[in-house]
Amino acid sequence: MVSISFPFSMILLIAVIGYFAARRKAIAMVKGNLRQLQALPQAYGQTVFFTTFLPATVILLGWAFVVRIMGPSYALISDGLFQVLVIITAAVGAALSYLRVKPSQRARAISERWIMGVLMAASALAILTTIGIVISMLSESAIFFRQHSWSDFFFGTVWAPNFRGGSQLSILPLLWGTLYISFISLIIAVPVGLYAAIYLSEYASPSLRSVAKPAIEVLAGIPTIVYGLFALITVGPMLRDFFVQPLGLGSSSSSVMTAGLVMGVMLIPFVSSLSDDIINAVPQAMRDGSLGLGATKSETIRQVVVPAALPGIVGAVLLAASRAIGETMIVVLGAGAAARFDLNPFEAMTTVTVKIVSQLTGDTDFASPETLVAFALGLSLFVITLGLNIVALVIVRKYREQYE
Amino acid sequence: MTKLPIKISAKNVDVFYGAAHAIKSVDVEIADKMVTSFIGPSGCGKSTFLRCINRMNDTIDVCRVTGDIMIDMEDIYDRRVDPVQLRAKVGMVFQKPNPFPKSIYDNVAYGPKIHGMARNKLELDEIVEKSLRRAALWDEAKDRLQEPGTGLSGGQQQRLCIARAVATEPEVLLMDEPCSALDPIATAQIEQLIDELRSSYCVVIVTHSMAQASRVSDRTAFFHLGELVEYGYTSHIFTNPSDKRTESYITGRIG
Repeated sequence: MVSISFPFSMILLIAVIGYFAARRKAIAMVKGNLRQLQALPQAYGQTVFFTTFLPATVILLGWAFVVRIMGPSYALISDGLFQVLVIITAAVGAALSYLRVKPSQRARAISERWIMGVLMAASALAILTTIGIVISMLSESAIFFRQHSWSDFFFGTVWAPNFRGGSQLSILPLLWGTLYISFISLIIAVPVGLYAAIYLSEYASPSLRSVAKPAIEVLAGIPTIVYGLFALITVGPMLRDFFVQPLGLGSSSSSVMTAGLVMGVMLIPFVSSLSDDIINAVPQAMRDGSLGLGATKSETIRQVVVPAALPGIVGAVLLAASRAIGETMIVVLGAGAAARFDLNPFEAMTTVTVKIVSQLTGDTDFASPETLVAFALGLSLFVITLGLNIVALVIVRKYREQYE
Repeated sequence: MTKLPIKISAKNVDVFYGAAHAIKSVDVEIADKMVTSFIGPSGCGKSTFLRCINRMNDTIDVCRVTGDIMIDMEDIYDRRVDPVQLRAKVGMVFQKPNPFPKSIYDNVAYGPKIHGMARNKLELDEIVEKSLRRAALWDEAKDRLQEPGTGLSGGQQQRLCIARAVATEPEVLLMDEPCSALDPIATAQIEQLIDELRSSYCVVIVTHSMAQASRVSDRTAFFHLGELVEYGYTSHIFTNPSDKRTESYITGRIG
């Protein structure tokens, strides 16, 4: 274990002192006549600050990370010595860059380059995190597939985990539930969301729009567990009592339809808000051109505005689809936890995400296939949504070529 | 002053954008089978007036039009007149080429399709070809009818927009600065096209270029600050204007 807080605060202290010292030196060297400096005095300060702070911090964090992962035995030097070395690094950086401060130094360009480096590191971090997630999923999934046959996982038909061994762990019933529920929710969310977007952007008066658009977007801010409660205590029983039982379609209040309906409502603002922005971005010249040819408003919208906005709308729908596939809480409370194949939408079914949660909660060790299956499920889900996003990108790019 | 039949006749037309008075009691009579141009400095109301003739101003909420505009002696602001039908009869070409994000063929076929002008694909093909020929675009476009209209050059796009307008067989063709986004060569092509269109349509063109007005039009109307200052034969307006403001404008002293 490497302690970080003390060396880190020392580095920061040296860097801050370096900043003020460099600023003063720069001003003093031109005797206060700032126009003789290549850059503002702050830029000289920033140059020293970055040169002191960043390399030492990177070494400190990197080393701490390596030691944490590889174990203390890999630390070739003692913790105390390492701390001293890091602080010396900072001090050397400060001293060298302080000595270089002179009026002809192009301090602004140097500090800009450091800032660019920081920004680049931030974007690299986001990408590296994704890669890290995939690697951790891959390694856990590999352990799972060593213990459980992959043919059962991908092509079996039964989900029956049994902690005494001999489980049947097939993704297909779960995937079926996931896709079925997502499908129903999109059937609701896409037309309703799209029509709402068209109404708001093409027909509604500005005053109505300014009220209605935020009101719809409030839906996006409701936590999904609240939607789940709504499904559990209102939508499910109502469907059962007024529709399913009278028609003899089943007797369960938890059903694919319950979860699909509520999830559809949850997705409406995603579709409508994005589509609305995209429809608004279609140039007025397109509408004028169509209206000028004697097209009605709805013909114009159907044949010119929506096709022009299509790539963005497809993007919005696929984003909603990814949300639907990854949604958990509404399914737990609305559709139940029974993994099965069934065409009847009024039967309880469940999804991949729900089973990931249920396999990992309770008394578990991360060694049996019954728990490790969660990682394989997660990886499969990740691959599916990745595929969906790639399809979305391809569609958007194909149409964009045509429309610009 | 005219012996040709009057196509468009406006009496006492006022236009308001909210509180702003954009057009002030304009009277004008525009003859058929002729090119009439509207000139004037920016903001003088010439485009606004043009957009009254096919009721495009209806699409702007705050815009209000009073007075009478008659086409073929029929009041186009009458309650019985459907602006949608009117716009099929009064085609419009806009300042910036605005082809739809569709193929060249579908751009031209758009109007005929929505107005049910073709009974089958063959008739539609004929209309598309005829319209593209009218717009002098057929030779350049005939081998690429299925390619997107947005892939054409600026001048070709504008001719496509003219073909699109011509395809609905309008009687009047309104052009709102059709060459202002084009280079001189494309402009010359469009002007030649306008010259050919005059035999079939009543063409009204708004232009910033006085040279263009004198090249293409038979009649010229000069607008200034929302008023119609002077209207008459183009040759007359440019050589012997009767109003002081017209003279100042065409000689370059104002505007």
